[in-house]
Amino acid sequence: MTVTKSDDWPQRSKELGALLARAGLGDRRAFAALYERTSGHLFAVVLRIQRDRALAEELLQDIFVNVWKAAAGFDAAQSQPLTWLTSIARNRAIDSLRRAQAQPRLVSASRDEDDDGPDQTEALADESPGPLDLLSRASDARLLSLCMEGLSAQQRQSVALAFYDGLSHAEVAEHLRQPLGTVKSWVRRGLTTLKTCLERAVHRDEGEAGAPSSSRGSLAGGEA
Amino acid sequence: MDYAKDSLADALAAQYVAGTLRGRAKRRFEGLLSAHPALRHAVRAWQDRLMPLTGVVAPVAPPASVWRGIEQQLWPKAAAAPWWQRLGLWRALSGVAAAAAVALAVLMVNPVVQPPVVVVLQSPGAGGAAAFVASLSGDGRALVTRPLQPVALQADHALELWAVPPQGAPRSLGVISANGTTIVPRGKLDKSLLKGDTAALAVTLEPPGGSPSGAPTGPVLWAGKLTL
Repeated sequence: MTVTKSDDWPQRSKELGALLARAGLGDRRAFAALYERTSGHLFAVVLRIQRDRALAEELLQDIFVNVWKAAAGFDAAQSQPLTWLTSIARNRAIDSLRRAQAQPRLVSASRDEDDDGPDQTEALADESPGPLDLLSRASDARLLSLCMEGLSAQQRQSVALAFYDGLSHAEVAEHLRQPLGTVKSWVRRGLTTLKTCLERAVHRDEGEAGAPSSSRGSLAGGEA
Repeated sequence: MDYAKDSLADALAAQYVAGTLRGRAKRRFEGLLSAHPALRHAVRAWQDRLMPLTGVVAPVAPPASVWRGIEQQLWPKAAAAPWWQRLGLWRALSGVAAAAAVALAVLMVNPVVQPPVVVVLQSPGAGGAAAFVASLSGDGRALVTRPLQPVALQADHALELWAVPPQGAPRSLGVISANGTTIVPRGKLDKSLLKGDTAALAVTLEPPGGSPSGAPTGPVLWAGKLTL
């Protein structure tokens, strides 16, 4: 079940494994190196979800303090380091939204989309790429992208908004101006489709290694 | 709800990892994780599937203050800030007055016209033992240090004396003797010692010959406020 994913993700993860293991033994220098290597990524992930920069900085500090404390319990056989770290970071970032929920966060979300302004102006207004841009960039991860293509446009957009920007179902619904129930089922079906596709690909890879399957090349990166 | 049911567990894990499980539902789910290996397994599988999606988010370098905060929270004693920037050191130097009386008695070997300014250098921290006295002549032109008792020092170490301004980096006053009187060369002294530009004197442990960099490199062994 680990054969999926972006090409460099496992590679980056592997390098971090040793640092994390040493940090788990109390090696501060290894921990500092781990911070050096991952803080930029985790900060970016947190910042997309928690857009208040000061809060995001506080969160990042908290996250690494927890990583240091939990490092000894990290099980390399169970998780990839980068996956583990990113999961911790996302989880904390999402929790931080609960408290700040009263404030309007998504400026562009509340904009009236019946206005003449085309979508591009929104994209221009904010330098960072939108969640859908990110999803299409994630296409570089071959298998994941193939499976993402199996999602409907609405499913993809809903999943991207929720995942990258930490929007709740209700916020996604508001953003897309769709009923809550509809959005919930888009997200749910999107994720299910993704999972089925990823698993099928892995099984196929295990079964008949190297079956060519699409214009983007083979699945699951088993063969060079 | 029957969380053991596979499809439900998996759907919840998916929402949890995707980030759409919120509020009470999220907390309840997290509460169940420790007791249900199947749930944990499902969560890990979803993390494996979804986290690589974050690989395309362009990294953003956090400010240096974040790392300093982490260090301070995890290892407050080894805090990243150099000792002369830490307030605690000066606050901790409280028992000076009492110790100074003792020191005066020791120092009053050569009565001078103007009474010298005596600084008692003690170990940082509450109730730190006094170890050195530094005597600054009333005209500020002579500074003499002397250990209250000879200090055992390894051959590959030296003691260096610093004038610590209220703000900024300390200025070296040179290496001092661990077991006898040191007369600080007049060239190292300037008027600043008596003009409030020096808040304290401190002794650090340095390599033989003193700090190679011109800034303290070793720990502060003793320090004392310069009260005029």
